[in-house]
Amino acid sequence: MVKQPSYHMKSRIVVILVGMLIFGFCVVLHQLFRLQIVQGSELQSRALSQQLRTNRIAANRGTIYDTNGVVLAQSATAYTVCIEPGTIKKDDSDGTKQQKVIDTLVSQLGVEEEFVRKKLENPDSYYYQKIKTKVEKPEADALMAYVSENGVKGIFLEEDTIRRYPYENFAANVLGWVNSENVGAYGLESYYNKVLSGTAGRSLSMRNSAGVTMPLEFEQVYDAQDGNSLVLTIDEKIQHFLEKNLETAVNEHRVMQRVTGIIMDVQTGAVLAMASKPDFDPNDPSKIIDPKKIEELESLNTYEQREQYQEALRQAQFAQWRNPSVSDPYEPGSVFKIITASGALESGAIDHGTQFFCQGWVDVAGNRQRCWVWDQNHMGHGEQNIADAVRNSCNPAFIDIGQRMGKYIFSDYFSNFGLTEGTGIDLPGEVKSIYHQVENMGIAEVSSCSFGQTFKVTPIQLITAVSAAVNGGHLMQPYVVKQIVDQNGNVISTTEPKVKRQVVSEAVSKDIALMLESVVTEGSGKAARIPGYRIGGKTGTSEKLDGRKTGDPMKYVVSFFGFAPVDDPQIGCLVLIDEPDLYNAYGSTVAAPVVGSILADVLPYIGIEPQYTEEELENVATQTPMLLDKDIHDAESILRIAGLKYKIEGNGTTVLRQVPGYQEPIPKDGRVVLYTEEATEEEMVAVPNVLGMTVAQANREIVDIAGLNISISGIGIEGSHSQAISQSPEAGTMVQHGTVVTVRFTDTSLAG
Amino acid sequence: MTFLVLVLTLVFIGLIMLFSASYAYAYYNKGDSFHYIKRQLLFAVAGVVMMLVVSRINYHILHRFSLLLLLITITLLIVVLFYHTGNARRWIPIIGSFTFQPSELAKFSVVVVFAQLISINYERMKNPRYGVWPFLAILGMIAVLMILEPHLSGTILILSIGIVMMFIGGTDLRWFMLGGVCIIIGLVIVVLIPGAVPYAMSRLEYWIDPWKDAQGDGFQTIQSLLAIGSGGLMGVGIGNSRQKHLYLPEPQNDFIFSIVCEELGFVGATLIILIFALLVWRGFVIAMRCRDRFGTMLAVGLTTQVGVQTILNIAVVSNTIPNTGISLPFFSYGGTALVMLLAQMGVILSVSRQSSLEKE
Repeated sequence: MVKQPSYHMKSRIVVILVGMLIFGFCVVLHQLFRLQIVQGSELQSRALSQQLRTNRIAANRGTIYDTNGVVLAQSATAYTVCIEPGTIKKDDSDGTKQQKVIDTLVSQLGVEEEFVRKKLENPDSYYYQKIKTKVEKPEADALMAYVSENGVKGIFLEEDTIRRYPYENFAANVLGWVNSENVGAYGLESYYNKVLSGTAGRSLSMRNSAGVTMPLEFEQVYDAQDGNSLVLTIDEKIQHFLEKNLETAVNEHRVMQRVTGIIMDVQTGAVLAMASKPDFDPNDPSKIIDPKKIEELESLNTYEQREQYQEALRQAQFAQWRNPSVSDPYEPGSVFKIITASGALESGAIDHGTQFFCQGWVDVAGNRQRCWVWDQNHMGHGEQNIADAVRNSCNPAFIDIGQRMGKYIFSDYFSNFGLTEGTGIDLPGEVKSIYHQVENMGIAEVSSCSFGQTFKVTPIQLITAVSAAVNGGHLMQPYVVKQIVDQNGNVISTTEPKVKRQVVSEAVSKDIALMLESVVTEGSGKAARIPGYRIGGKTGTSEKLDGRKTGDPMKYVVSFFGFAPVDDPQIGCLVLIDEPDLYNAYGSTVAAPVVGSILADVLPYIGIEPQYTEEELENVATQTPMLLDKDIHDAESILRIAGLKYKIEGNGTTVLRQVPGYQEPIPKDGRVVLYTEEATEEEMVAVPNVLGMTVAQANREIVDIAGLNISISGIGIEGSHSQAISQSPEAGTMVQHGTVVTVRFTDTSLAG
Repeated sequence: MTFLVLVLTLVFIGLIMLFSASYAYAYYNKGDSFHYIKRQLLFAVAGVVMMLVVSRINYHILHRFSLLLLLITITLLIVVLFYHTGNARRWIPIIGSFTFQPSELAKFSVVVVFAQLISINYERMKNPRYGVWPFLAILGMIAVLMILEPHLSGTILILSIGIVMMFIGGTDLRWFMLGGVCIIIGLVIVVLIPGAVPYAMSRLEYWIDPWKDAQGDGFQTIQSLLAIGSGGLMGVGIGNSRQKHLYLPEPQNDFIFSIVCEELGFVGATLIILIFALLVWRGFVIAMRCRDRFGTMLAVGLTTQVGVQTILNIAVVSNTIPNTGISLPFFSYGGTALVMLLAQMGVILSVSRQSSLEKE
């Protein structure tokens, strides 16, 4: 007997069905709707945040080239050595795996065992502990070879970059350096950090929870945009000339602070060289390289004084990283008279006929201002026109000029020459000048300002301003980067020389240049003379008044600005020596010879040929001047003026020996060898045999090849038929460099 | 016919989704992307064959086996407490890696026994001696054994099936009200007396705010919600789930529907739920069309099982109810479960077949 389901049963089935549909399916559907549609995007982004791993792809940092493409800073691949403590300690109850890792790192990287143990126990991360950063490729390769050879587990490398400066402490204050995060910290590295660093790429990949990339098409790579490179206006050669001379100056004048120099293309404002010494090595910027500072720090390096030591070390580091050319204003002293003179002439406050009388001093607002000449000779300069005043660097005359201009006109020119504003040079840390409020200026202020005291400007401001005074009156915006190029060498941008304004007329500028030439030919800048070149310049000796206690010895900044050629100014060079520790240190005696030596190196290099005046040609030494015990720069200056060539042996700063000796005869264009170090073994050369040779041949043998001097006598030496008939010393004799070989010639055509 | 098509559709979609959901997990944990799908496919084929065979057998023979089934079930439920795989006392190892889950059999046994009891005692169901106590005794015994495993979700499922069958079988409504009151009191005790049921409080807390302990107890729920949410309206596309890459634990098991939601979106999920709903509807239609109460109750019980299990599973993955650990019919990985399920679908088909045969 089969009983069919009752109506009652069926109706209850319908109740269950409807109940399930409503309370079951509809409820879950509603919930899904909420999750997927209403909260969908929120949950999705939460999901993505755990699924997406962003890997940074480092962009290659751009290179820094000098103006000719010489590499000054370049990035190379380096590695970070890391360990995975979790992997190492897994199944390692007896510690052998850990010991293996420790031994490897200690032997290969030279790290401390204790350090590695700490990293192994560090609870921050079980899969990532950095052991050593900036490990270069060969070392990293050796490490990994060792690792695979010995089956060490848990050591891995991460790619990174390291910044290399092949010339070490070269243009360091201009280039700056990059920190461990590859971010430029100082100098161009900092100023152009964005350009150089490029844009780091990202690889977005979907990772599973174990961190392994999902084998899906999710990987999205945003390529790294490599940084662009900089081509500087700085010329490695010119920079080298500058640094060599500055370094010598630091030593020969026992400079307490720093020596700073800038070489600029006066027509464009392009900085050809910029340096301060002592500086630092951007490869290892934290290291102090100034021996004086090292000594100072060493004396503090005790346990008791560790805090002072740390502070002193930090100060020393900041000090060496500073670029004084743009960051350290100083009182320019008499170099500033160029600006006063230009402004006075241009404004019409004076003209070429205006006479200034110097009795040796002048009283300004109750204070007696003595002229330097009074200190020396107890007399004044007498009647002078503007050219005389500039040549004499006469303070009373310039006080007069400043007063004639008045504080408003004076201040107008001060700011017209860009001295109240930053130059806008593309270097970080440029500071503005410190100058008076015009309203508050009295006669005393105008008077001292007129000869460059009581205000401060930066070296870059000053060289830019004085360049404008001599280049035809154009105030330029100085710059260091000539071009920005991409990784393939395509030029992205080029810096065009930027004229800010015309500050003086061309005529005034020409006059000023001629006046400055007379400073070098007849005035205080004689030490910067270079035969064959028309050099203009101005010395400066300024007292460092601020922070000086009564009774302290006066400290000075001595400086010189030189430019050449006077008839067509091309390069300007400003050198300032901060606190030379010497008696009688003036711009004329200390800074001018340095600039002279620099220009003597630079001018032939930039292709300016010497053109000797008759006077210079006549001024041929017949006797070797006295050079013993002189500073290198002084000796060079003397020899240059005498029209002699020279060669420096050794790295000392004073001349210990000279060949030929004092008052020994030396031919025109002869070469004096200056020994700056006690030679342990004298460098001797054999005198070549020149008998039977023509004058030209003998000259080549003796001067060019053997490095000796030749003195020619006899007849027929003008013609091509000359023949050497005797020589002294004889061929084969061992003599010192620079020794004069006397050769007698006869004219074979006469005999025949 | 419709029912068969619906079942096969679900099996087919289920296999595809199982493969999609499991391959990454299988690759990382088993070293073989096909680890789960290979086995599931084997069982699916066996299950479909079984279903077709069963559908040809007259379900009335189950009359004879009902008591035996119950005895076997209870025996196995006791056996599993002592002889089982791993720590969970749910699976009896058979040969190799094959296992058997007695609670799967328990669901079926309850349906058969209840159908038997109701078909015999239908007229006397109002009397608690026939309409309440026997059912409660059987449910109670099985429930206790399953809670001992412990297998809470299975217990809930079996209780639900039992209660639905009693309701349709004609038990007096008062008893349901009484039962309802008991459940509410029980819940209040669980909520108000912390520690009355171990872990109950924390489960409830993580149900209410799973983000509270995103890396701990709330982890699975959160990963499931993230998967569902990531799907949006249209889904990320089949095979493209990211959450299955070791984020969602065991995506081939209870939480497979999260991956379905992620890959197919709200639209796909709705379609699949619709197919399940249609299946339930057709199951109940078969029950109503059946000429005898045994068949009706069989179809009702088995359909209810599929329906309730589906709803509970989706409710769990979408955090509508606290996480209990219940699989999704036709989708979740599990050989015994799938074969049993398909065999049970075969029984429903048999009911359907018999009623249409008898019509003629």
